[in-house]
Amino acid sequence: MKGLTTALLASVTMLALSCATPAFAERVLRLDEAPIGEIDPAKGTDYADTVLSINIYDTLVYPKQGGPGVQPLLATEWSIDGLNYTFKLRDGVKFHSGNPLTAEDVVFSYNRLMALQQGFASLFQDRVASVEAVDPLTVKFTLKEAYAPFLAALVRLSVVDKALVMANLADGPHGEFKDYGSAYLSANDAGSGAYKVTGQNPQSETTMAKFDGYFLPFAENAPDTVRYRYGLEASTVRQLISRGEHDIADLWLPPEVIKAMVEEGSVHLALEPGATGEYIKLNTQRAPLDDVHCRLALTHAFDYETSNQLLKVNDEAALGVSMNGALPSGLLGHNPADPPFVKDMEKAKAELAQCKYKPGDYPLDIAWIAEVPARERVALLMQAAFTELGFTVNVTRTPWALVSEQVTQPPTAPHAVEIAVAAVTPDPDSLLFNMYSSTVPPTWMSAEHLKDDEVDKLLIAGRTETDEAKRGEIYSQLNKRLRDLAPAIFAYEFTGVYAVRNGVEVHNLKDATTRYSPASFSMLFKDISVNE
Amino acid sequence: MSARPRSAALESFRSNPISLFGLALVAFCVLAAIFAPWVTPYPTHVGPIGDFAAINAAPSAKHWFGTDTIGRDIFTRVIFGYRLSLTMAVLVLAISVPIGVVLGLVAGYVGGWVEYVIMRLTDVFLAIPPLVLAMSIMGFLPPTLTNAMLAVTAMWWPWYTRLVYNVVRAEAREGYVLAAEVVGASVPHILFREILPNCVPPVLTKITLDIGFVVLMVASLSFLGLGVQPPTPDLGSMVADGAKYMPDAWWLTIFPALSIMVLVLGFNLLGDGLREAFDAEV
Amino acid sequence: MPKLLLTFLRRVGTSLIVLFGVSILIFGIARIMPGDPARIALGPNATQQQVEALREARHLNDPIHEQYFYFVRELLHGDLGVSLYTKRPVTTDVAQFLPSSLELVFASGLLMVVLGIPLGLLTARYQGRWPDHAGRLMSVIAVCTPAFVWGVILQLLFAYFVPIFPIEGQLSSAMKPPPTVTGFLTVDSILAGNMPTLANALYHLVLPALALALAAIGQTARLTRSSMIEIYRKPYVEMSRAYGFSERKIATRYAFRPALIPTLTVLGLDFAALLANAFLVERVFGWPGLSRYGVEVILRKDLDAIVGTVLIIAALFLICNLIVDLLVSIINPRIRLAEKRAGS
Repeated sequence: MKGLTTALLASVTMLALSCATPAFAERVLRLDEAPIGEIDPAKGTDYADTVLSINIYDTLVYPKQGGPGVQPLLATEWSIDGLNYTFKLRDGVKFHSGNPLTAEDVVFSYNRLMALQQGFASLFQDRVASVEAVDPLTVKFTLKEAYAPFLAALVRLSVVDKALVMANLADGPHGEFKDYGSAYLSANDAGSGAYKVTGQNPQSETTMAKFDGYFLPFAENAPDTVRYRYGLEASTVRQLISRGEHDIADLWLPPEVIKAMVEEGSVHLALEPGATGEYIKLNTQRAPLDDVHCRLALTHAFDYETSNQLLKVNDEAALGVSMNGALPSGLLGHNPADPPFVKDMEKAKAELAQCKYKPGDYPLDIAWIAEVPARERVALLMQAAFTELGFTVNVTRTPWALVSEQVTQPPTAPHAVEIAVAAVTPDPDSLLFNMYSSTVPPTWMSAEHLKDDEVDKLLIAGRTETDEAKRGEIYSQLNKRLRDLAPAIFAYEFTGVYAVRNGVEVHNLKDATTRYSPASFSMLFKDISVNE
Repeated sequence: MSARPRSAALESFRSNPISLFGLALVAFCVLAAIFAPWVTPYPTHVGPIGDFAAINAAPSAKHWFGTDTIGRDIFTRVIFGYRLSLTMAVLVLAISVPIGVVLGLVAGYVGGWVEYVIMRLTDVFLAIPPLVLAMSIMGFLPPTLTNAMLAVTAMWWPWYTRLVYNVVRAEAREGYVLAAEVVGASVPHILFREILPNCVPPVLTKITLDIGFVVLMVASLSFLGLGVQPPTPDLGSMVADGAKYMPDAWWLTIFPALSIMVLVLGFNLLGDGLREAFDAEV
Repeated sequence: MPKLLLTFLRRVGTSLIVLFGVSILIFGIARIMPGDPARIALGPNATQQQVEALREARHLNDPIHEQYFYFVRELLHGDLGVSLYTKRPVTTDVAQFLPSSLELVFASGLLMVVLGIPLGLLTARYQGRWPDHAGRLMSVIAVCTPAFVWGVILQLLFAYFVPIFPIEGQLSSAMKPPPTVTGFLTVDSILAGNMPTLANALYHLVLPALALALAAIGQTARLTRSSMIEIYRKPYVEMSRAYGFSERKIATRYAFRPALIPTLTVLGLDFAALLANAFLVERVFGWPGLSRYGVEVILRKDLDAIVGTVLIIAALFLICNLIVDLLVSIINPRIRLAEKRAGS
């Protein structure tokens, strides 16, 4: 027993010594996200998955820096001729394996995405008639019908190394393509991006190393190694950063924790606003909220000011800003001139008087998603506000899995539930269509279950119109219509607040002109400096 | 199986200061739980309504255990948490003990294939660590009070089956049982009138110990997010929710954590005292 | 010896039957519960078509007994299905995450034996005196506190307030993990001859292993104490005392070995409890093990992964009990003759 204690002490001392030895001279960047990290670009959809895919893989086009739309990446130029989209590929791009990147790889990657039917396959579902490699550096997509959001959707088509994948097939149902490299790409990469995967554990971390053969420049002091960690507790992240053992925190720290870190002087904040809305989705198919006046009453009763107060980190930063319509800023159709919503009980009561239901007869069910504790506060704000209007309000904490189940049954789904919805491409269609088209099946995105002919008409018009200016007009009009219909309380625009250790700079998040929208597209490791 | 005379058992229990301490802790927790609405300073904080002006306040004379992230008094919520935990424990045992005891009696006395089936079934349930089984059940059910209770009950009965089974196997060969058989007493008579009384001390002792462990299990489930849901005050989820704010707001976690410890400790010391007093094998 | 072998084989047979029962039980639970796992797995942007395709691929549209048949058939081919959570084969996940959990559980098991048994011996030897009271109080407190509470307390004390241990994880971020051979970080470090990594891995193990072990240490100490005291009351010990043997000799020579048997039996159970409690501790310390995986897949209704994880844990549990049985019959030859052990 004595021996053991000595041994333990000895190993602890040894350890303290070994920790003191300086690390390698290489620059390491350590950041984290909620679990889990999916490195197969055909499967991931989440924040972490996006960050991984933009750093490991390349796409034909990339969101435009500092504004809506797209800019060249693998494609140096493209032409749109009716339903034909022809892309010229950059010459000399090499995969991590050393294989050259050609039009064949693009075709293969598209087919792979559609065959696996996961991830962002739905963006292209039933849209594309054919994809062909015209020559090694030219690829042509032919659409079935006009679909304006197509170009923006291509930011989600990561190009994989066909030869490498085909050499690593496992058993699977896709004929000659077997499993389409499903097993292989879950643990290895086949990309051409600025970083290559050196280790993958979806529960704990992905390690990546700088790819020296990358075709775009790296920022000064860009990291040599990146450790992207998953599922760290907020308290852990906070402590690791103040000890200098972590560089960039995830987006889900409570404001109090971020504030404590800023006050400690160990971090500065990098903000990523826009393209994500926090919607308190009102069930338009269930009484009393099937009456627009009852819905409008709720939107006027909600306490936006206190909600913003609760999101505040300090005077410079908050986890959200006021929203003024269905579209958050950074997307085509956002109307900066519209006034933000404010609490106005007089208006609320006036609307309620026009509603055909009496509030006392219809208790409201409000669900808040268990996984996001901060939403409890918003739910309580609603409870307070709606009680003031005379409603009986039941608040239930509901796990995500159950919410996504409940909302598929409009007649019994909760009256209100706060859900964050982000545009997944730089196109407003990727946000609004799945939320408000009456043709989509009931999912958590469409938890309002809105059925409105004019909205449907505008959504279709936005999809088929290819002229950018006219599209802007259409979405602006749609945005106005949605403000009048109040299918949701547009609570606030989510702002990603990254706590970044001093000494590390995320150049892309400096200001509005350097950011890439939508969410996570700014987190290119090659544009981050690890100065010490 | 020996059963000391009741009076001797009582005497032995009384002379043990540790057992008496356990009894005192249990009495304190149970009384506080029963009279929670009257003994807590902010009984309205049980629900979702807090005080946005006093968020994350450190412990003070006003709030002994501090306040939580929406400004509710933690001390109040801990006491109401006791109320919930104890209710759950009592209900779980009220269902699982009778099931377990009857199955154990039948298996032990009837024997044959009945015994085989019951005992293998018991083995199946005991082969999955209890928490894992309860978690798997809860994972598929909406997280409500009733479901959490059912999940814990489903894993609790086999322990009683096994306990009673062992007692019955030992007793069945005793003279009085044989005598009863010879005079032609019915099976239920032998089971419930002759054998069952001998199972009472170990079963009672185990129940006392188990109240603590059921509390612990329920807390563990809700720590993982699978148990009772807020705004219902629950000790396990208070610990889990507070952990995000460590170390700045340590009181969010530590007080609920210590409260679980105190409650379980009380029942454990009491149960241990009973076990020694009855000299019961559990 | 053949008799021992026979008994052992019979126990193996029973364990297999039990495992079969476990598979039906857990499969049943997973399938009859409400909710559409395919919809959950595919996320919000999935089309109805995608959901249907996945339901078809996983046989979710077939009657339950047919689903079970497919499940067993694939199981016999070493295929536990695909996790909807990691989108990888469940066997891959288990192979990657199980070693971390076992490493933690073994470390705790070691602490349980090297701290629990001596504490029990000590308290038994000084029965009724202050070391006994102190030791018993410590062990009862240890038993009564859930593992996650220990985790949180240890973390707060020794990682936040007095930062002498790491908060979480298996390895410092400055450390390069050794090449994966066995998956056990400590073993791999030794194989790679990398002593700093080994030391670092052990350093990271201390708090989680202790948090996990405390309840088991208390349990072991209590049990060792009570069996030692029972043995002390036996005539042959009284007699050796009368002959003037030293207390130390009596404790080690005569009392310890028989006292070990009940302790050993319960150690098997405790080991299983460690496996279960790892669910709580891994979450506190961000330990990337099978238990944390288990919690995540349960929260996500990931059917194949839940069934796989629970089956693996049940199998480990049964193996533990088999080993304990074997050890007990080696230590005490009389038990070998007992044809049937009560209750199992």
